[in-house]
Amino acid sequence: MNDGPLIVQSDKTLLLEVDHERADECRRAIAPFAELERAPEHVHTYRITPLALWNARAAGHDAEQVIDALIGFSRYPVPHALLVDVAETMARYGRLRLEKHPVHGLALTSTDRAVLEEVLRAKKVQPMIGERLDADTVAVHPSERGNIKQLLLKLGWPAEDMAGYVDGEAHPIALTEEGWTLRPYQKEAADAFWYGGSGVVVLPCGAGKTIVGAAAMAHAQATTLILVTNTVSVHQWKTELMKRTSLTEDEIGEYTGTKKEIRPVTIATYQVMTAKRGGVYRHLELFDARDWGLVVYDEVHLLPAPIFRMTADLQARRRVGLTATLVREDGREGDVFSLIGPKRYDAPWKEMENQGYIAPADCVEVRVTLRDDERLTYAMADTDERYRFAATTPSKVRVTEALVKKHAGEQVLVIGQYIDQLDELGEHLNAPVIKGETKVKERERLFQAFRDKELQVLVVSKVANFSIDLPEAAVAIQVSGTFGSRQEEAQRLGRVLRPKADGGGARFYSVVSRDTVDQDFAAHRQRFLAEQGYAYQIIDADDILT
Amino acid sequence: MSEGFTEWLRSRSDEQLRVLAMSRPELITPVPANVPGLAARAGTPSAIGRALDRLDGFTLAVAETLVVFPPAELSKAIHRATNDAPGTDEAIDRALAVLTEMALADDARGLAPGVKEALDPPAGLGQPAAHVFRNDQPVAVKLANPRSVRKLLDQVGPQARAALDELAWGPPSGRVPNARREISVETAQSPIEQLLARGLLGAIGDDTVTLPREVGLVLRHDRLHRDLSPVPPPLVGATRRAGLAARTAAGQAFSFVRAVEELCEIWSVDAPGVLRTGGLAIRDLRRAAQQLDVPEWSAALVIEVAHAAGLVATGGPADAEWLPTPAYDAWRARQTEDRWETVARAWLTLDRVPGLAGARDDRDRLLNVLHPDLRRGAAAEIRRRVLSVVAATDLAPSQESVLARLTWERPRRRGAHLARMTEFALREAEIIGLTGLGVMSPHGRAVLTGVKAAGLLAPLLPEPVDHVVLQADLTAVAPGPLTGELDRWLGMAADIESKGGATVYRFAESSIRRVLDAGQSAEEVLAMLARHSATPVPQPLAYLVSDVARRHGRLRVGSASAYLRCDDPAVLDELLADRRAGVLRMRRLAPTVLVSKASRATMLDSLRAMGYAPVAESLEGDVLITRADARRTETPPARQVNGLFAPEAEVVTAAIRALRAGDAALLSRPTPLGEPGGALPRTPATATISALQDAIRQGSRVWIGYLDSQGQATSRILEPARIEGGYLTAYDETRAAIHRFVLHRITGVADVN
Repeated sequence: MNDGPLIVQSDKTLLLEVDHERADECRRAIAPFAELERAPEHVHTYRITPLALWNARAAGHDAEQVIDALIGFSRYPVPHALLVDVAETMARYGRLRLEKHPVHGLALTSTDRAVLEEVLRAKKVQPMIGERLDADTVAVHPSERGNIKQLLLKLGWPAEDMAGYVDGEAHPIALTEEGWTLRPYQKEAADAFWYGGSGVVVLPCGAGKTIVGAAAMAHAQATTLILVTNTVSVHQWKTELMKRTSLTEDEIGEYTGTKKEIRPVTIATYQVMTAKRGGVYRHLELFDARDWGLVVYDEVHLLPAPIFRMTADLQARRRVGLTATLVREDGREGDVFSLIGPKRYDAPWKEMENQGYIAPADCVEVRVTLRDDERLTYAMADTDERYRFAATTPSKVRVTEALVKKHAGEQVLVIGQYIDQLDELGEHLNAPVIKGETKVKERERLFQAFRDKELQVLVVSKVANFSIDLPEAAVAIQVSGTFGSRQEEAQRLGRVLRPKADGGGARFYSVVSRDTVDQDFAAHRQRFLAEQGYAYQIIDADDILT
Repeated sequence: MSEGFTEWLRSRSDEQLRVLAMSRPELITPVPANVPGLAARAGTPSAIGRALDRLDGFTLAVAETLVVFPPAELSKAIHRATNDAPGTDEAIDRALAVLTEMALADDARGLAPGVKEALDPPAGLGQPAAHVFRNDQPVAVKLANPRSVRKLLDQVGPQARAALDELAWGPPSGRVPNARREISVETAQSPIEQLLARGLLGAIGDDTVTLPREVGLVLRHDRLHRDLSPVPPPLVGATRRAGLAARTAAGQAFSFVRAVEELCEIWSVDAPGVLRTGGLAIRDLRRAAQQLDVPEWSAALVIEVAHAAGLVATGGPADAEWLPTPAYDAWRARQTEDRWETVARAWLTLDRVPGLAGARDDRDRLLNVLHPDLRRGAAAEIRRRVLSVVAATDLAPSQESVLARLTWERPRRRGAHLARMTEFALREAEIIGLTGLGVMSPHGRAVLTGVKAAGLLAPLLPEPVDHVVLQADLTAVAPGPLTGELDRWLGMAADIESKGGATVYRFAESSIRRVLDAGQSAEEVLAMLARHSATPVPQPLAYLVSDVARRHGRLRVGSASAYLRCDDPAVLDELLADRRAGVLRMRRLAPTVLVSKASRATMLDSLRAMGYAPVAESLEGDVLITRADARRTETPPARQVNGLFAPEAEVVTAAIRALRAGDAALLSRPTPLGEPGGALPRTPATATISALQDAIRQGSRVWIGYLDSQGQATSRILEPARIEGGYLTAYDETRAAIHRFVLHRITGVADVN
């Protein structure tokens, strides 16, 4: 009997025994074509999806390598049907290619005439194509480059985009490695992107995605458009770029709701790009304002649908997507693949944690028991009121106070969803509260104070969830939050995952009301965090209060 | 009927007749009275058709050649057709031996009566000129000479020649408007007219012309067959590492047995209905496919095989449900390898085609699994032939080459049907695990040849493990098949998330509640987990178990009067205040007890829906243990009647003996044998049996007295064949048929002479 570390399941999941002596070797072999789905302590689960297989093809792996890896590491015989399926799926990528054409600009060619005939017969393809150039080639309207790729992926015949990129307007950008150096994986990620053309780099929160973006810009040496999630993020990128690169403040433009600067490097928010007036997008011209050589998409997994449509028209420009996860709650992973590009780099969280680049985190769920009268009120509450009631029980305030006291001297973030509750907590903890209505200036002042350790405790609402940089938050306490979405959890964890000067471990508390819907949401969170491989334990509030 | 053929048959030895009966069993069912009867039956078109169906391509070609050429020219003609391929002579001898053995030709290479007609037209040739031009004898005479045919061919233009070449290798007829027109060589205009005028084509209908056989032969350069091969076409396909292929097959075998078991377990508690016309509804098939996590065709196979192996059958009230049988329980208790052997054999002899399920028949009706419509008489035979071909090579033969080989083996049985059945057989063999990566496995070969397979399979199967890996995300991974007890316990305490070589289980509140409901305490659950985990039980899992246990049973529900009691009055306050509990119409009985007018079941469901974990309580106040009951059908499974392969040797021997006896009677007496005169023989019972046994040994005839079913005393002249289970099987010469006689009604035995 073969004693491999891998078990191949018939539902296309791969189970990897992490403590096996060949586990590392196996992980490296399967990572190109399987997405890590769960990474709890003993057995990691990978999944083989068509997109993952096509990512592998785009990275130059072939079906034989995949099958060899599966058979070579598998403990039990690999189901034949699965092998056949892998070979068939992988063979679908690259049968069609988009290439430059001297006369028509863009052409779709095929190595398999039957496939070309099949896709040409599809109704939706017809408006995108021009005349038939020969038996294996058909002209494509250059403006449809993105749309046709999207469509072909949906038809199950993803096209390889060989049509190349415009260089864009040249602009010198260099990394200034003074007092810091590019980490090996950051360099690998930027290189992998550059040699791949366009694509997505997957790095955990706190692993320095901004720096990968800067390194990509240093490769491109061209004017760059950076799209980020919100205004705070815009400032963060700007600060970071000024610190890490040769760019000066005058070269970096902000394009937000209040400022409309267009400079060689311009940072815009998704929000402003998708703002409509009179039914039309008012800021589309930004895309044509300069001859951009590179477009950077921050937090690709949050890219809103209209940006996808706009991106479809930007296929001749190099694009790099930065994200912590390829999983999109709306299931549009395929659009990311066809419009931004295949995955170019992926590093497992755990490994980076072992190398000390991100701080290990301990997750603790604290269960608060409702008082008898609270339970009565809860039982009588309407369904849509229940969560709010359970999440904002006054008992949580006492527990949070105790937790803050326990971690006195450390930087503590308290995160919540309900403003009333946050205000109340702010009062009890004697800490400032950042919420939606807080002015950007004030927000940044408070963040800076927190960074400078003038402030030890900060209470933040949902707005703080995305793309802000709060180093040295050793402890995060979540008191309420919706539905345990995977993205949100990744973000929240990111808050405390930043590497700390003293290398100390971070703590992530969530305070939960026992026997209520709050606990149900916590179950999702628990599953996500445990799947990511974090230590997780559940304790009773009484253990904290006494 | 030809006297010569009858005489030839009569001259065959008993052994030769036995071989004939084995290769053409339809000739002795029922046993003919005598040799002329046998000859007559062997000469019927249907019997000859069935015999020809069993010939391989080369032997059939030899038979066809004998239709066209005289026996003396056989060898030369075949050599022309095979281009003198090596082995031709041996192949001819073999083919002739087969033809003689099957009484399709006699020792002198003369075709048996009716064979020529059955093979007409041979090898795609047209009708003989003498038939085509029966009203124009001069032309027929002219065509009989190949030299004059060649001369005529030289006279026609290239277009006309091309038309002839089209017809040369058959089909020999074509459509031409106004075929019977009057034309002479002088008036002929078009190429077709040139041909018609010279008799190179003949009209056989108002708008049909045909190529006369003599012309066809000349065009074929006297070769009756094109590229005839004395050996079967080679099998081509990929080579696989033998060990890997066998292991893959074993892996499939394991999954298949597991799928069958899982299906039966699911149907134990949730039996699907039987359709009014029989079979299983398509939505039940889809559901099974979803539950087993396999494609629909694969689920259909699992269901059909489970049924064929007698593991599921109709049952329940009015036989309206598909339920596992008691045989399933016996099957489940056996080792995996034995279980596999049972289902694999059931599949091999299955006279139904699971692959057709979900398709539509000629009348556009949906074909359902387990429906009588899926029966195909030839299914088992074709399946066995496909597997025999795969077993004949170490390669993973491609479907095309398997089909080519099957077609060569039985050229008269080809067609789209065969192609589909081949495809089904190959993919099903892979799923069941007879083949691995397309290569016949050792255990598959054993099943095919009818020897014990389990011993070969057992060492290839993954060994059962007795531990699981517990993880903080509340999953448990069993890195292999689990030992029985642990498997069943985990199946109850957790939900299965993924299957394959390993099994991934997930613990949830509901699954923990299930195991608590089954009467285990939290301590027992935790101890069980600790015992079977290689690593410490993760804190969140331990917490989950204690947390569910904490709430489990806190509420207790009564049955008859439906009361609800709880040690914590606050819970009841809470419950009474809950609007959702309104439908239960509860009333407070005491600080810790509520009563309700709703039934206990409704109460339990509603309370659980509200997020509580109540338990049912008996009248004595004990906690009731609940667990879904597994159900079984009472009806024994119907035995499958399998396709007829070869009759039992004993039966054949008896039949031949009866045939000879009948023939002897025919030859010695012009009239049927009358009853001997005198009193009916009377002998003691023991003497009767020993006399009959002597007669069986010597093959002699006896005269018996017999009380028929009405109690009438009769006498018969018999040739006894065997005694078995209180019956005598014998050829009854007085009635010229094989009969079974009840031994105790035989009053006595006497010699005939």
